[in-house]
Amino acid sequence: MAKRVIVLNEVVICAAAAVTALGDTLDQTWERLLKGECGIRPVTRFDTSGYAAAAAACVADLLPAANGSRLPILLERLLDGFGTVPVECMLLTASTKGEIDLLERFRRGEVIDRQKLLPETFLHHLRRMTGLRGEVVNIQAACASSTLALGRGAGIIAHGLADAVLVVCCDLVSEFVFSGFSALQALSPGSCRPFDRHRDGLSLGEGAAALLLMNRNRAVREKRPVLARLLGWGAANDANHITAPARDGGGLILAVKRALERSGISPGEVAGISAHGTGTVFNDLMELTAFRTLFGERKLPLHSVKGATGHTLGAAGGIEAALAVRSLESGLLPPTVGLQNAEPGAEGCVDNQALPFSGKVLLSTNSGFGGINGALILGREDWR
Amino acid sequence: MKAFVTGLGWVTSAGMGRGRSGDRFAFGKGELPILSRQRIFADPYPRFGRLDDFSRLGLAGIALALADGGFDHCHDKRNIGLFAATILGSMATDITYFDSLLPERGGLASPNLFAYTLSSTFLGEAAIRFGLSGPGFVANLTGKGELDPFVLGLEGIAFNDCESAVCGFCNTSVPSVDPSNGQPEGALFLVLERSGLAGGHSYGILCRQPDGQIFVDDVPVPDCQKMVEVLQSNLPEHK
Repeated sequence: MAKRVIVLNEVVICAAAAVTALGDTLDQTWERLLKGECGIRPVTRFDTSGYAAAAAACVADLLPAANGSRLPILLERLLDGFGTVPVECMLLTASTKGEIDLLERFRRGEVIDRQKLLPETFLHHLRRMTGLRGEVVNIQAACASSTLALGRGAGIIAHGLADAVLVVCCDLVSEFVFSGFSALQALSPGSCRPFDRHRDGLSLGEGAAALLLMNRNRAVREKRPVLARLLGWGAANDANHITAPARDGGGLILAVKRALERSGISPGEVAGISAHGTGTVFNDLMELTAFRTLFGERKLPLHSVKGATGHTLGAAGGIEAALAVRSLESGLLPPTVGLQNAEPGAEGCVDNQALPFSGKVLLSTNSGFGGINGALILGREDWR
Repeated sequence: MKAFVTGLGWVTSAGMGRGRSGDRFAFGKGELPILSRQRIFADPYPRFGRLDDFSRLGLAGIALALADGGFDHCHDKRNIGLFAATILGSMATDITYFDSLLPERGGLASPNLFAYTLSSTFLGEAAIRFGLSGPGFVANLTGKGELDPFVLGLEGIAFNDCESAVCGFCNTSVPSVDPSNGQPEGALFLVLERSGLAGGHSYGILCRQPDGQIFVDDVPVPDCQKMVEVLQSNLPEHK
């Protein structure tokens, strides 16, 4: 019997937006990132005196909304000017802690409508904000949440379950999360320095991203701009440790291999990497090990945005994918802000200046607690 | 979308069970059974006792399903995905953790407890315990379909994210936030396999039609109770 061949739909990115500590738009974040600016500042929204650090990359002037959480305002800024999305578009979100600041207020004794504390309340609110009709799925995979959500959205389109998927990614800086990373001794006392040999931990950040994925045929029919192609996606678990990455990078290697296999792209065609690059000793070392295994001794340009935007947790992969779209357009990888002396093995690959790269395909990766790793292969519209 | 169902395990207020043990699935009312290591795992597993309640429940459901399907012992990592839906996720643990911060302004923050304030951490525990290297996530769903969680696993296989998947739901109540909780407490997980080789020891084929209806073989199943009944009725001893 002949094997059934499934022809998959091509997935393209038609719109991208981001809000970070560097700005309320993707343009602002991109421009300030290229200048090597850092959004990490002393935290003022809670007392940090009991913690191992005092700084984070908070979005400027982000005040609580009427419901008591900062998240609705963050999302309003994100979606302001995003443009129209097809009304039947599916909505996926990626957030590890959602409106965690509401739970904090509730436990501090404030009277909070308990319905507002339910995760689905926030999802319904976002659906109303976007004007979409369908059900919403929030994907939680720790710091790889966005990457897995983008992969799931791409799978939905590739396999014909929908023509359009809006992926919205967001997480806040909160005392809840700050205290936890402090207790884990994972926070840098200053600003994080990804891939630096003297790196000493991560800096938290907050932010949001929105990416509209579409079936290429639909995008062409509607004359939508194609910003980039989502060529491949993959995820894998280290199955090794709950909070520490596998030192051999086994899960990340597997995730990237799965993404490459799906895209039909050879490792040699990858022109640059947007790494997770948290600035912790073990994460960055694990990534360098994985990239060396995957790409050999090739000096592949790579960067991390977290020295500028902080680690935005569940939003990180979405923000980084949106920035990767700009990288593909411009042929520039942003500076790795905070870098002074590259970790052995990263010399010649990472820089505190913008790095030009020649090629049309970028890899973006994220890894998280629970051993999860995610990888995306993004391509320029004129790739092949 | 369809896949063979080869394992079935649950923990609810009515008890815990495995498909091939002849246990009857029901949601029940009242408290969940006490989940001791000895009731779930045959061999020592000290970590289990240190997990928060939400993670222990989810891991127990996954362990029972994997054991039912004969997947609980393997020396090599396997591309099996883990997908779980939840309503409140780790919120009870979130509250315990945050309450521990307040008296000493963060001085008593427990790094171990913090790790379990991510609703997806129990999937990592399952991945480590059973050597599962597939993708995985926990999802909050606005849809109210009882069987929606199992579609996450069907999609994972249909999209070629993994060859097999463990999928289901895990819900614990948080009385201080949501006394009704919208859905009974408990966990129910299925092992799904793409491979036709699974057919020999499968319960049947779980299928989601384009209109959203879920079938086991040719039988429409509207809810968990019916799904488990039909799956178990396919076992040889029931034929």
